[in-house]
Amino acid sequence: MIPRRSWTIWLFVLAALHGIIACAGFFAPYDPTEQDREHPYLSPMRIHLMDAQGHFHFRPFIYAVQMHGGSYDQFEENTEQAIPLHFFATGVSYRLFGLVPSRLHIFGTEASRIYLLGSDAYGRDQLSRILYGGQISLLAGLLGAGLTLVIGVAIGTMSGYFGGWRDGLLMRVAELFVALPWLYLLFALRAFLPLSVSPVQAFVLIVLVIGAVGWARPARLVRGVVLSAKERDFVRAARGFGATDSYLLRRHILPETSSVILTQAAILVPQFVLAEMTLSFLGLGVPEPVPSWGSLLASLQQYSVLVSYWWMYVPVLAIVPFFLGYLGLASALQEDASTEKIVRTTAGGIW
Amino acid sequence: MRYFLHRLVQAAFLLIGVSILTFLFSTLAPGNYFDEMRLNPQISSDTVATLRAQYQLDRPLPVRYARWVSSLLHGEMGFSFAYNSPVAPLLWARARNTLLLTVTATLIAWALALPLGIWSATTLGRLPDRALSWTTATLLVIPDLVLALGLLILAVRSGWFPPGGMVSLGFERLSTVQKIGNLMWHMELPVLALVLSALPVLVRHVRAAVSEVLEAPFLRAAASHGIPRRTLLYRYALRAAANPLISLFGFSVGALLSGSLIVEVVMSWPGLGPLLLEAILARDLYVVIGGLLCSTIFLVTGNFLADVLIYWADPRIRTGAVTR
Amino acid sequence: MVSMARLSSFRRCLGCGLLLVGSIVSSRPTRGTPRQSSASEELLTLSGGIGNQGGRIVVSLRAEPKTLNPLTAVDAPSREVILGAMQADLIHINRATQLTEPAIAKSWKVSPDGLQYTLVLRKGLRFSDGQPVDADDILFTFKVYLDENVHATQRDQLIVGNKPISVRKVDAQTVVFQLAKTYGAGERIFDGLAILPRHLLEKTYSNGKLAQAWTLATPANQWAGLGPFRLKEYVVGQKLVLERNPYYWKQDAKGKRLPYLDEVDFLFVPNADAQVLRFQSGETDLISRLGAENFSVLSHQQRGYTMSDAGPGLEYNFLFFNLNDPGEKTSPDLARKMKWFRQVKFRQAISAAIDRDAIVRLVYQGRGDALWGPVTPGNHRWGNASVPHPQRSIEKARALLKEAGFTWTAGPDEESSLLDADAKPVEFSMLTSSTNADRTKMATLIQDDLKQLGIRAQVVPMEFRSLIDRVTQTKEYDACVLGLVSFDADPTADFNVWRSNGGTHLWNPSQAHPATVWEAEIDKLMEQQLDAPKFEQRKKSFDRVQEIFAENQPMIFLASPDILVGAKTSIGNFHAAVLEPYVLWNVEQLYIKNTPGNAPQ
Repeated sequence: MIPRRSWTIWLFVLAALHGIIACAGFFAPYDPTEQDREHPYLSPMRIHLMDAQGHFHFRPFIYAVQMHGGSYDQFEENTEQAIPLHFFATGVSYRLFGLVPSRLHIFGTEASRIYLLGSDAYGRDQLSRILYGGQISLLAGLLGAGLTLVIGVAIGTMSGYFGGWRDGLLMRVAELFVALPWLYLLFALRAFLPLSVSPVQAFVLIVLVIGAVGWARPARLVRGVVLSAKERDFVRAARGFGATDSYLLRRHILPETSSVILTQAAILVPQFVLAEMTLSFLGLGVPEPVPSWGSLLASLQQYSVLVSYWWMYVPVLAIVPFFLGYLGLASALQEDASTEKIVRTTAGGIW
Repeated sequence: MRYFLHRLVQAAFLLIGVSILTFLFSTLAPGNYFDEMRLNPQISSDTVATLRAQYQLDRPLPVRYARWVSSLLHGEMGFSFAYNSPVAPLLWARARNTLLLTVTATLIAWALALPLGIWSATTLGRLPDRALSWTTATLLVIPDLVLALGLLILAVRSGWFPPGGMVSLGFERLSTVQKIGNLMWHMELPVLALVLSALPVLVRHVRAAVSEVLEAPFLRAAASHGIPRRTLLYRYALRAAANPLISLFGFSVGALLSGSLIVEVVMSWPGLGPLLLEAILARDLYVVIGGLLCSTIFLVTGNFLADVLIYWADPRIRTGAVTR
Repeated sequence: MVSMARLSSFRRCLGCGLLLVGSIVSSRPTRGTPRQSSASEELLTLSGGIGNQGGRIVVSLRAEPKTLNPLTAVDAPSREVILGAMQADLIHINRATQLTEPAIAKSWKVSPDGLQYTLVLRKGLRFSDGQPVDADDILFTFKVYLDENVHATQRDQLIVGNKPISVRKVDAQTVVFQLAKTYGAGERIFDGLAILPRHLLEKTYSNGKLAQAWTLATPANQWAGLGPFRLKEYVVGQKLVLERNPYYWKQDAKGKRLPYLDEVDFLFVPNADAQVLRFQSGETDLISRLGAENFSVLSHQQRGYTMSDAGPGLEYNFLFFNLNDPGEKTSPDLARKMKWFRQVKFRQAISAAIDRDAIVRLVYQGRGDALWGPVTPGNHRWGNASVPHPQRSIEKARALLKEAGFTWTAGPDEESSLLDADAKPVEFSMLTSSTNADRTKMATLIQDDLKQLGIRAQVVPMEFRSLIDRVTQTKEYDACVLGLVSFDADPTADFNVWRSNGGTHLWNPSQAHPATVWEAEIDKLMEQQLDAPKFEQRKKSFDRVQEIFAENQPMIFLASPDILVGAKTSIGNFHAAVLEPYVLWNVEQLYIKNTPGNAPQ
């Protein structure tokens, strides 16, 4: 049986999505922190091909908008002047991958700002914020989830494999880790960090700490699987043939845990991205004006935003593909792993 | 039986460890309960200092810990600065309400997650599986708070559900049957919110565990021997897939006291959530420690339950246990 | 969510320049009052709409009250319940007129030297359990407040001129309060001081257990007060139910004893948005402390309720820099920054660069006012009209910075950064409370404003206790955006903010000696206004204080939000006040209108 390499497709999709986030400067029309105080809570602009006089334009265009007098979030289009959309336009300067200075954007306008996904409370472009926000959130999510998993798997495997007093001890420590009020430690950490530490650095540090202390759950899950895996007949047989611990772990036991690990990974990344919301509520998240997915979703937590400005939901729609990508990759890898196992075990002739 | 005693001793040590470290951590965090008074022009800094002294916050850590332990032995679990009363009664009164909510939600979530996950695993890669994947991915991205708030808005707009709270205002005047009905009506939304936030994780794990087993050689062999799928699934596959799920179930039990914090706050459910959240931010130390201790007890119980179940469900481990 | 979201403070209520305003209120014997009404009762007659008897209103509280004991209550919900509905004071500040009026004391006299206050109690007063009130209860109350071992939060405000106020009984209806020093704020000191029932608490007091008395679990018959409502029932985590006090000492113009309502229910709804939803669904009758966004959502879809903007309140939000003396522990980095902060021109430049109109527009949706001084437009009597309200001007800010020796790196204006005299870039961080979205928003706007001066300012939202610890204890911070809510319009209410030795003199608290000449002048002026016998003289002193603030900008005032409230249309006599408690200040006069839909049961 030849393994189906369906995970390569998922990997490709994820790579493309992350590529867009990495090149946020190019895809985003504006600086994500730039405020436009005349246009707070502006709904997404409509792109026209037909102008108010009924003329057709080949180049898509927008109309500038202005606020109704006396209101704070009602706007109307000024149909006198069509503002054409330019592709590969020159706009605000940014650094691609944080290195290469550039002014090139995939699209832009000249006479008036364009808000494809609307604007937030400060009149900042939502599209730019979603794109730039992904950089911090994905970094934090991947780092945090990765750290948690590495420690969790290591400890879980050890605990389950060696058993006995080591198992008892490690699992009690795990319980201790789950039970402790880490929040206070994080408060303390923030208090000891100098205020001049850049907020993004402080946030990544805090995510790493959470990642480092969050190993207990995956460890228990992995331990459960290892416990039964090490008593499987083929493992016992291999041990009987004199296989070393490291060989057994590598060849037979860890592969058994792959489905649990992959599922955990796919769940942990979104959880770490969302954890930022709780953290920012406690003053430990990414502070304004730096965008992050957590803070974009956090604005939805206000009743007034939830019922008044539908375009503030858009970040959810933008983030789902990423998490779906991770889930897809995880289950594809898992399918793959189990097929591989069949190939291997059948070849080994145990059945 | 010896194993049981062994675990009990371990649990006791764990609780001691948690309480000591909690004391330690709480002193690391800057600020204390009486700090807010510092910003009150009505109260002088001398008064703040006297109050701190009165509640022994200026004493060294071991002294405070010893006093707390003695109060624990008196069944008080320390003293709440904010409520000016012992902590234990504060917690007990609310823990009941929390458990009512979380036990119901946990049971429902598992009752849904098992069939959904199995369904997803048996249709791996086909439409039902895909649809479930999308749904769970979306649910994972929606923050708890937004979910709860969204449900609450739905309740108010439609009028089908009460806008939060545990019972209606005229509750006292209702008959017993009406009381139960009223309570259940108020439980629907918070339970729904809890189930929806727990479901994606559970479904993903069930799906992974079952699909892995379904691919396993012994099942393929059995299938090729002509044993019907249904029998295969329920008699062999589920039992073989149980292991990670039992650990997960242990977590569910462990989270019974602490898992509904946000939903309780948004839906104004009179449980531990609002009390603990406020206590954490206000540094009402002993309330936090009391709450943590209670949820640690649940955690330990959950893990113990999981261990026992794993030993029971997997005969191979049982034999392994004898050798230790 | 949590009650600490704003610094709700219930300040010292000292007050207006007034000496001999003994007002004798017309009172007449009433008939038809429930239970033993006697001819000797002197009820206070209120003008205002005549209402119907009966019914219940439901109000939500953002957190559970923590206690029913006025001695230990410091959290906003407890204060709101205790002072708003359950207890009464000797002399009361009318929340609508902001002037004092007789309460439990039907009249008072002040001696010519301003040191002696003679208060005459109403006749026939009874606690809510029917026990009579006399001068001994007043003596007991103040003894408790002043007892050092009780640790009453009221003690500090009863110390005038470093000596506790002394109280003496003249006869069963008359008590004399003796002050060690004149107090310009006068009889406002009595506002908010609940009178305690001696018959219920004396024993607990002599056992030394008074601070632990009157928790929420107190049985209703063990509790008594003089407010319009009394304790009926507390349901853990859910609600506090109060019922009508049949012995209340006010009546309406027709001689009917108040309050009109039979019951007031306080529901605990720990989330501000959930409170809005409860109100919208009709489950609660009144709502206050609304943010502008929720207010506009509610206004858009009015069904059976009316929303009203009661105008600017007494909350002032401000930015301040760390002006403490650099000590040994101060990091060199902070010490370097403190050199900028200490320059008046630097602070003036920051103030000139801040777009206050944008703050009012974007943070309060226009429902607020820009501020250039500590006195908000909601304060009717104390504002100084001559304090300038300069328009935002980046040019002026740049000119001021230039005068102070700052320079800019080369390049176009928007990209050049500001350098200090040592050619180091000017960067600082601004603390805000992470639970207060409004102030974080202000800081974010200020940050963007300062970018135009070439200053890199960072917003650091911090959990509230950690923030207080930094500002008042470790003093390791650059700048901070905070807000305070005055409980009273009188400037003496925030005395400890203005005075250099005050604990809430935020930019440099609890100084032994005033650090600057202008702080010394403020101290002197504040003392003067306390001693001054006439309102005009006091106002003159405080006007000068406001001018000094405008010149020196120790606090850069930003904006003040309007008090936004809502009520069901069926609630009669509803008028919001801009002083706390905004909607319940006249709870005894609220009633349910008789319309077919909502006849009281």
